[in-house]
Amino acid sequence: MLKIDKTIENGKAVIAPEGRLDTVTSPDMENAIKETIPGISELTLDLANLEYISSAGLRVLLSAQKAIGGAGGSMKIRNVNDTIMEIFDITGFSDILTIE
Amino acid sequence: MENKKTIEIKLSGRIDSGNSAQKEEEILSLLAGQEGAAVRIDASELDYISSAGLRVLLRVRKAFPELSIEDVSSEVYEIFEMTGFTEMMAVKKAYRVVSVEGCEVIGEGFNGKVYRIDRDNVVKTYKNADALAEIQHEREVARLALVLGVPTAISYDVVRVGDSYGSVFELLNATSFARILAKEPERFDWCVDEYVKLLKKIHSISVPEGKLPAIKQKNVGAVKNIIGLLPDGLGEKLLAMVEAIPDTDNMIHGDYHSKNVVLADGEVLLIDMDTLSVGHPIFELVSMYNAYVGYSEYDPSIVLAFQGFDADVARRFWHDSLAAYLGTKDEKKINEIEEKVRCLAYGRLIDWRTRHQSGDAEADKATIDLWKSRLIKLLGHVDSLDFETCCSAEESSDLELEAAPENLQKVLDFVGSRMAALDLSTKLRMQMDLAVEEIFINIANYAYHPGRGNAVVRVETTEDPVTVTITFIDRGIPYDPLKKQDPDLTLSAEERGIGGLGIFLTKKVMDDVSYEYRDGQNILKLKKNF
Repeated sequence: MLKIDKTIENGKAVIAPEGRLDTVTSPDMENAIKETIPGISELTLDLANLEYISSAGLRVLLSAQKAIGGAGGSMKIRNVNDTIMEIFDITGFSDILTIE
Repeated sequence: MENKKTIEIKLSGRIDSGNSAQKEEEILSLLAGQEGAAVRIDASELDYISSAGLRVLLRVRKAFPELSIEDVSSEVYEIFEMTGFTEMMAVKKAYRVVSVEGCEVIGEGFNGKVYRIDRDNVVKTYKNADALAEIQHEREVARLALVLGVPTAISYDVVRVGDSYGSVFELLNATSFARILAKEPERFDWCVDEYVKLLKKIHSISVPEGKLPAIKQKNVGAVKNIIGLLPDGLGEKLLAMVEAIPDTDNMIHGDYHSKNVVLADGEVLLIDMDTLSVGHPIFELVSMYNAYVGYSEYDPSIVLAFQGFDADVARRFWHDSLAAYLGTKDEKKINEIEEKVRCLAYGRLIDWRTRHQSGDAEADKATIDLWKSRLIKLLGHVDSLDFETCCSAEESSDLELEAAPENLQKVLDFVGSRMAALDLSTKLRMQMDLAVEEIFINIANYAYHPGRGNAVVRVETTEDPVTVTITFIDRGIPYDPLKKQDPDLTLSAEERGIGGLGIFLTKKVMDDVSYEYRDGQNILKLKKNF
């Protein structure tokens, strides 16, 4: 189960997924990001309430980074818990994403 | 003490932004001065509710926290469900009404009857007042059993039958084993084989703690009730023997007789799951003995009325099933176990008959006396009720299901339940889930592409040292995922490919991942040491 919370203000968007970002739920997250990117310059993903991420979720993060980078904007990630940070470390995502 | 007041309000038609303010006023005027009361909204005539209407209900609930909405039509229920209201407050669906008048009765138990409502569907009715709670319980345990690998039918609908409720099952062309034994005596041996195969499967499942009631309690209770009826401390001896039966974690059906095993569309299924429990397999054998032999020892016509075949067939079916279950043809060994079973079986029967009189006091007394004399004789030389069970619950059981992404949750639940005893940290659980998801989704997406097929998931655990091994088996295209090259982690975000992380992650979070192709099967093993 995944709940996605979204706020947009002055061209800056914050998306906060809550729950599990897996094979089943990642298409929802992908859609939420896709429909947000046009018209914003900065995307923040707040992962404070994300409990789980699998490779399907990682793919969504990477394609978001590519899409917003390609459009001249920037993406950052905040409030990553230890369990998920370890997954970012293993996959080298901690080096290629901007994590606060 | 004063009973809490319940106020009923009926809502009908449509509630949307056009009339919600007016409806709110009406509701609040009905509730004026009733603070603290429970509010029950009858929604049987509500056709539609928009978000403006839902907000009215939220405001009402704020002032009256005990708000329930009942008899909601399927269409309106969907709105409540989609908006999350079903999780916030008590919303009860209106039940479809089914009439069983003139329908064939295909089963009858203590709690109600089972009717065939059409060729492929049966409805199980409950006569107790708390039928809904019972239906809920049976659905929950049936689901648990299914996830743990027992082929069973799960009710797909709850309906109104007269003043009570029923649950509907789809059983395609179902025939009970009782019927096969009665009508097709040439299939006797086949019935024994399949019946015992399913029994062993049930007993080989190890039930996670706290998921099912312990069957021993019921038996200890029965023996306590009859202690006074037995002479010379024999009651105390029986009680001590029951209490000494080890508390194993085998799954027990609790009412495993030939009417509760059905052949449906070529598949052998277990039904009537409300007695599902956990404990030593002797308790299962006790209820089996009673169903085939015990109940009808005084009056052999009982078994014919109950199972549809005569006492002779029943006795033979019990004996051959026991022999096959124990895996022996040694009559001495079979008899030794049967005597243990009979000790407890008579205890249960005497307790039952004393509490449920038939109306014929003389026959009841003669029946109890017969059981009692046999029990007293057995207690003279039986000194323990424990025996080596053929199905160690340590053995792992398998989950077999279609390799499809929508089955991911079932696989995760199964693996989770098999590891429940290890009490893993959140982080370790996430790592296990991660590896299971990556491998299962890989099989679901590619193994049988573009066709369909099954996968088997097997979980084996050891305690000292603590390890978990999860094996995935499929019969799809031979494919060794470990041969896939690891992604290059030094590339920038722009340069990195989108895929290829799943197997890599699995290898990183597990301690050992191995693959082999054998007998037409892809076999992938994940091992984790804790």
